[in-house]
Amino acid sequence: MSIIDLTSMGEPQSELRKELNDRLTKLQDEISDYCFQCARCTSGCEAHKLLELEPHKIVALLKRGLLNELINADVIWTCMTCQKCRERCPQRVAPIEILFALKNIAVANGKQIPGKYTAMLQSILTMGLIQDVQQTTTRTNTTVKRDDLGLPPLSKPVDAAKFQAGIMKIAMEKV
Amino acid sequence: MKKRYALFPGCLMPTEQYAYELSLRETLPLLGVELVDVEGFSCCGEPMKSVNQLLTLYLSARNLAIAQKHHLDIYVPCAMCHLALTECQHILEKNPAMKERINGMLAAEELTYTEKTHLVHTVDLLHDVIGIQTIKEHVKKPLHGLKIAAHYGCHILRPKEIGRPDDSENPQKIETILKALGAEPVNYPQKLDCCGAPLLANLPESALTKTGQKLQAIQEQQIQGLVDVCPWCHKMFDSRQTKAGETVAVKLDVPVVYLTQLLGIAFGIPPEKLGLELNLSPVEKLQQEAKP
Ligand code: SF4
Ligand code: SF4
Repeated sequence: MSIIDLTSMGEPQSELRKELNDRLTKLQDEISDYCFQCARCTSGCEAHKLLELEPHKIVALLKRGLLNELINADVIWTCMTCQKCRERCPQRVAPIEILFALKNIAVANGKQIPGKYTAMLQSILTMGLIQDVQQTTTRTNTTVKRDDLGLPPLSKPVDAAKFQAGIMKIAMEKV
Repeated sequence: MKKRYALFPGCLMPTEQYAYELSLRETLPLLGVELVDVEGFSCCGEPMKSVNQLLTLYLSARNLAIAQKHHLDIYVPCAMCHLALTECQHILEKNPAMKERINGMLAAEELTYTEKTHLVHTVDLLHDVIGIQTIKEHVKKPLHGLKIAAHYGCHILRPKEIGRPDDSENPQKIETILKALGAEPVNYPQKLDCCGAPLLANLPESALTKTGQKLQAIQEQQIQGLVDVCPWCHKMFDSRQTKAGETVAVKLDVPVVYLTQLLGIAFGIPPEKLGLELNLSPVEKLQQEAKP
């Protein structure tokens, strides 16, 4: 079981890719009918000022069928997932869902996954959590770990092999 | 009546944000809540949503199924986890085909998602389940004169349509709790601004800038402290405050505490039991400034 199975163009992924494309086609059809480019999503977007994400433009590009451009654009990875665009859109379009779908498709098509996502995924596959117990520092500069503080043992998958077998089905399953 | 919940710790709180876990384990039982530790939970899946949403859904369903096996409602202190689990229930309840498909995968671990479970976060647990009256009855050292700003965190407020712990545009539950503790909640224009944490994975500099901008605004408004209810938000506002200040070129000096820590202070619980030495922001200022 490796990350490749979950993220790359490997044969088992073809069904997932098809499903993602179906999902996006559906989003594309729906928004063509509803989005009227009022840009309310962008006016409240947490990533707008700092990183120039304009959710209404993402919707417009998708409407025009520019899927490849979108999948390869770094800007789709700037969404802070604040859900404001989904909440405030008068037409119930949910640009955030379009962005998630675009990123998923980028990943399924073998595009490089940015930043620490790969490391987090690897950690989930290995021990069930995005990271293991960390050492932290107090204000007076002593270091402590979970057990120093009298906290109970970490809750994590008991049988790693079975846990991985479950996740494996996501990569392998044929719908 | 005693309220029993499986504590769903998630990833971040039990592996580094110990102050949240210590303070909630200390305060909630005093208020009649029994927290049950359950073996075998995993990541909620939310951090993987950009990579593979099906994986997110699967991981959420897996955790729900574990709690269901124990016939327990779930207390989820992390805002991200709370969103993931709530969204998963929403999807599986509406989509029987997806439920069947996920259950097919869960069979690998002999688990089944059965039915909707009651999920609470710290904010609604305190405000709606325990209730303001009970909280007031436990206050021994009211926090008179303390001007505190509340940070809710995006993920417990939206999307409204699936049911969230407080209102998406004008949340007030934390403020009501702060008043019950004797403190003075302040309204500030940046209240709904994001902490920046969701960008930590791929754009850490921008994430910290977001944090710095919000903290700077709070500092300029002479607010005495910031209270939060999510390990991700707290990691940004407290654990990374110095770094966040560097991104906006300001020396930041804002005390940041978990709501459960502030509750404990007002209940007269000794600071070490609330993990207050783990906060890296100047929280001693809060204790000094509260007028007895
Ligand atoms: S708020 Fe909705 S309708 Fe308006 S531009 Fe954004 S997606 Fe389109
Ligand atoms: S969810 Fe993403 S795209 Fe939508 S408003 Fe927030 S940051 Fe912008």
